Amino acid sequence: MKKFKDETKNYPLLGRWISWVDKPGSSQKIFYILILLCIACFGLEWTYEKHAYFAIENYKGFYALYGFIVFSGLIFVATLLRKIVKVREGFYEEKSIDTEKYPEDQIQRIDHNA
Amino acid sequence: MLDLLHQIPTAFLFFSSAFILLFLPQGLARNFVLLGTPIIAAIQIWTLGMGDFSQISFFGFELELMRLDSLSRIFVLIFCLAAFLGNLFAWHLRDTIQQVSALAYAGSAIGAALSGDMIALFFYWEGTAIASVFLIWARRTEGSYWTGMRYLIIQIMSGVILITGVALYYYDTGSITFELMELGSIATWLIFISFGMKCAFPLLHNWLQDSYPAATITGTVILSAFTTKLAVYALARGFAGTEILIYIGTVMALFPIFFAEIENDLRRVLAYSLNNQLGFMVVGVGIGTELALNGTASHAFAHILYKALLFMSVGAVMYRTGTSKASELGGLYRTMPKTAIFCLIGAASISAFPLFSGFITKSLTLSAVAHEHYTYIWLALVFASAGVLSHSGIKIPFFTFFAHDSGRRPKEAPLHMLLAMGITAFLCIFIGIFPNYLYSILPYDVNYKPYTMEHIAGQLQLLLFALLAFAIIYRRGLHPPEIRAVNLDTDIIYRKLIPSIVLYVSFVLTACFKLINIFLVSIFESLLSRFHHSHGPDSPRAASWPAGAMVISIASLLGLALFVIFFS
Repeated sequence: MKKFKDETKNYPLLGRWISWVDKPGSSQKIFYILILLCIACFGLEWTYEKHAYFAIENYKGFYALYGFIVFSGLIFVATLLRKIVKVREGFYEEKSIDTEKYPEDQIQRIDHNA
Repeated sequence: MLDLLHQIPTAFLFFSSAFILLFLPQGLARNFVLLGTPIIAAIQIWTLGMGDFSQISFFGFELELMRLDSLSRIFVLIFCLAAFLGNLFAWHLRDTIQQVSALAYAGSAIGAALSGDMIALFFYWEGTAIASVFLIWARRTEGSYWTGMRYLIIQIMSGVILITGVALYYYDTGSITFELMELGSIATWLIFISFGMKCAFPLLHNWLQDSYPAATITGTVILSAFTTKLAVYALARGFAGTEILIYIGTVMALFPIFFAEIENDLRRVLAYSLNNQLGFMVVGVGIGTELALNGTASHAFAHILYKALLFMSVGAVMYRTGTSKASELGGLYRTMPKTAIFCLIGAASISAFPLFSGFITKSLTLSAVAHEHYTYIWLALVFASAGVLSHSGIKIPFFTFFAHDSGRRPKEAPLHMLLAMGITAFLCIFIGIFPNYLYSILPYDVNYKPYTMEHIAGQLQLLLFALLAFAIIYRRGLHPPEIRAVNLDTDIIYRKLIPSIVLYVSFVLTACFKLINIFLVSIFESLLSRFHHSHGPDSPRAASWPAGAMVISIASLLGLALFVIFFS
């Protein structure tokens, strides 16, 4: 890890700005900002009049609750699905695009610090 | 000059450029042709006005090569734009095969969108298949060769089904005009299935996830734009308002999000995501009202841009690291920050955050569904919208550029790639902020305001609370980890199941045949040896044979022959 720390000053300016997200405590801050945004967004419900197509839309916070629940459900079901459909990379053929490397002559691998 | 340009069918512009490319040296000259052709084609379409501009006779049929109306125009324009951006992204490429095939492919797709009859449509339809497979083979590995073969077989099959349908349709109606059809006869069903194959309907979809990640880095960007959107156009032209499409589209929008969530190859994640986006468009076609068809056309337009942007950003990462697997990436924002930001813009657009292009296009379709009171379909599509956020909005940028540090420090993408991504990202935001420019080229007049407080707040709530769910799940370590594996999909049917059934059946049949053979031969041999023993030259009976036995047998044979000839 020390090696990467030393290199930080070599990163592009934009990269150094964004690297705030990796500072200790930043992820916590981002999480709290997200919660604040969610609350603010929820609060917006009282600022406008709804012209809903469906009765269910009229409930305060319908989209918030629906978004939260279906997203969690999606992750849960996907995790279960993985148990059923996961196989090793060479399952179909040993030489498939999943197992073979991308041809080196078609890419330009350059290290930032090179 | 412009008059002369108007005489040439747009597809032929691309084909002749593809031909000219062969005689130009690699470098600037070729790149100018690659970038210039789509620009000239777009100018041609933009200045041409509406109407039928080019008819030719073909074995007694009148073929319409340039039917330009409000529906075909928007698709042709976005195809030109996609060809331009894809070729700009591929500026570094020095591969004649890919350059020629990119132009021929774009030309075929544009030709198909402009075809006024179904015979011309068939030729261009097959053209897209043949031209595009070279973008997969150009990777030049064994894996890509076999993937290309599978892709080609399925694409050609779609064409064969199409021409069978067209022949039957002509037999039924006496017409080959490509216009609104009604499902009912075998002919229309065949045409419908052919469109469905290219549109990646559920169970017919897996060629998409199989082949797109197998193409070259630049090839996938080109591939993502044309084939499937051409199929959406064909459905919108031929089967608008067909109710079954609403249900097909909903299933299409739903099931890929689960697979995308657990897929490791990010380009395959994007292929699943593409499939999910097509679902929204197909639902729009199924609803078939003016609002819904506007939704489909505008969604296709915006989708081609943000999907290309996402494929470009993952492609740029692949260009620098050699991999697109989430399990091997992470933390790349440090040295590829511009690519990371472009990827985030693509992610925000596909997730339909307000001020990005997805928001102003997807809400048209959703409103159309709501307007027709399809409650469950609407709920499913809102669910699918949250699903889009999960794989394209979060997974792609997060696991490539953030999440755990992979230790890789690749250099930022080359200038031309950044330029291509920059222009595409700009367009995604521009369309999002100024929707009226896009709305003005839609097939029907638009009387729709996407930016109402209700829309914005609803969409933000959905997305932010979904993000919150992700944050909680990820922090608790419950998110499925990125691991090296592949997931079974319907391709197991033709990659494992059918080959193993064929192998098993052929094994059993061979064994049976051998057994029967051995049995018959042994019976025959024993009969022969017994006969030889009792009637052969060494048998006791041989002693009493008359000398004229041979003459008698030949005489009876000839007598028999005479008898047969006499009565036949």
